[in-house]
Amino acid sequence: MKLSPKYEKAMANMQVGIISAQGFLGDEEINLVDIINRDENEFNKLGLKFDEVAKKLKYLLEKGQKGLGEPITVDERWLVQVYEAKGKMPCPFEDYMAQKSVVTLTDKNTNHKLMYTDLSIHLIEKHHFLEGKGSTFRLEPKILKKILY
Amino acid sequence: MEFIIAPLIISILTGILAAIISITDKIVNNYGEITISINNGKKEIKIDGGENLLTTLSSKEIYLPSACGGRGSCGACKCKVTSDVGEYLPTEIPYLTKEEMKENIRLGCQIKLKKDISIEIPDSLFNVKKYEAVVEKIVDVTHDIKEVLFNLGNEEINFTAGMYMQLCIPPYDKIKNETQRAYSISSKPSDKHHIELLIRLVPGGIATTWVHTYLKEGDKVKLIGPFGEFEATPTNSTMICVAGGSGMAPFKSMLYHMYENNINDREIWYFFGARTKKDLFYLEELAELQEKWPNFHFVPALSEPEGEEWKGESGLITDVLDRYLKTIINSGYKEGYLCGSPGMINACNNVMTANGIKLENIYYDKFA
Repeated sequence: MKLSPKYEKAMANMQVGIISAQGFLGDEEINLVDIINRDENEFNKLGLKFDEVAKKLKYLLEKGQKGLGEPITVDERWLVQVYEAKGKMPCPFEDYMAQKSVVTLTDKNTNHKLMYTDLSIHLIEKHHFLEGKGSTFRLEPKILKKILY
Repeated sequence: MEFIIAPLIISILTGILAAIISITDKIVNNYGEITISINNGKKEIKIDGGENLLTTLSSKEIYLPSACGGRGSCGACKCKVTSDVGEYLPTEIPYLTKEEMKENIRLGCQIKLKKDISIEIPDSLFNVKKYEAVVEKIVDVTHDIKEVLFNLGNEEINFTAGMYMQLCIPPYDKIKNETQRAYSISSKPSDKHHIELLIRLVPGGIATTWVHTYLKEGDKVKLIGPFGEFEATPTNSTMICVAGGSGMAPFKSMLYHMYENNINDREIWYFFGARTKKDLFYLEELAELQEKWPNFHFVPALSEPEGEEWKGESGLITDVLDRYLKTIINSGYKEGYLCGSPGMINACNNVMTANGIKLENIYYDKFA
């Protein structure tokens, strides 16, 4: 299937070394729209909603920022550490400039972990994009459900 | 016969097309020799145009700060351009303040050199060099921070305590291009043949993953520097220093430099925040320094001691700082010194200014 110019440009921006050294697509061999469709189906199956997940991740990021770079316990359940760097990271869809923040989130009850960025929240909320499988910041729907709910 | 002729014709046409593109590219993108005039002609460089300013300067061993290696995502390679290089690009604007734009500050990595250009850079950048170093020692000072000692061999480095270096990260694994990251120097300026850095693992971080996973003693690496203007002022005001994690680095350098040079007549308070005891390091060394140096006070604080035996301060470092500024260090002229993330700097700025320290007397690493 031929991609629309918007997705074609975004997919080009997601390649290794364009916006980030590691790129956003990981080891995927399918195109961007197919990745998004697959993950939307997975979200539906699991009963997850993109805007709700984005809201929770944003809440944990903001709470974690209070640790000023050190890990901090949030709501007695999650250990959140926010690493911030100076500078910004453009969204591959060219509609947002994200702060350079990396969040590590650990569920203290189960020790399950996940890692995301300020840009991940925007990509989930606005584009339903969880990054490609094999990408450093890929957010697996099943893991999101385990840790956030 | 047709099976041969058709591919042959296509090959010839493709070849002609490629040649036309190549020739056009050379004509259109041939800017000829251009001159870069630096600091009112103090230095002039003649070079073929076409590349960006950051890359072109580094090819002539003039290094602007850069924490992303020219990808346009750190905003560090700022310099003043005093000749016309056209309008600001959308890729520059997010990194520049209105004041900087009034001053014609531009991002070196975003300026394509098409004609003669005049720029102004701090004279200190002429002291910046690229060093070929060997990793002499790697020590795990905590579960996620490594102390890495680089031997510069016969090369000498001159820096002020508080400055930083850029570590060049070679391509590895899926990373195809060299990149650079900035780290504060933790060694003393008097050791001119070594550079020590404290590098905390940032999950998913290109540079820190390389350091923590791939780098080993004996490896050869490139370092560029020294950069930065973060340093202790030559006053007698009380220094209020705040850091956490690898933010320890510039203070380690400053404190040992001051002690070594008998700059010990001013009060220094050093607040160091961590979550638990396993995140603390250099406790014995700093306690020893405190014993020898009555004006130096080290205040480590744990935000979540979690039942550990801990007799020191507890709470977020900003809360501990606020408490001390209100009760113990509540008089005299004070200066703030910070090393940490932008969020940590903002939070400490708020506490310090609320306790009477003027914003212009608070200093921090601008690359963080």
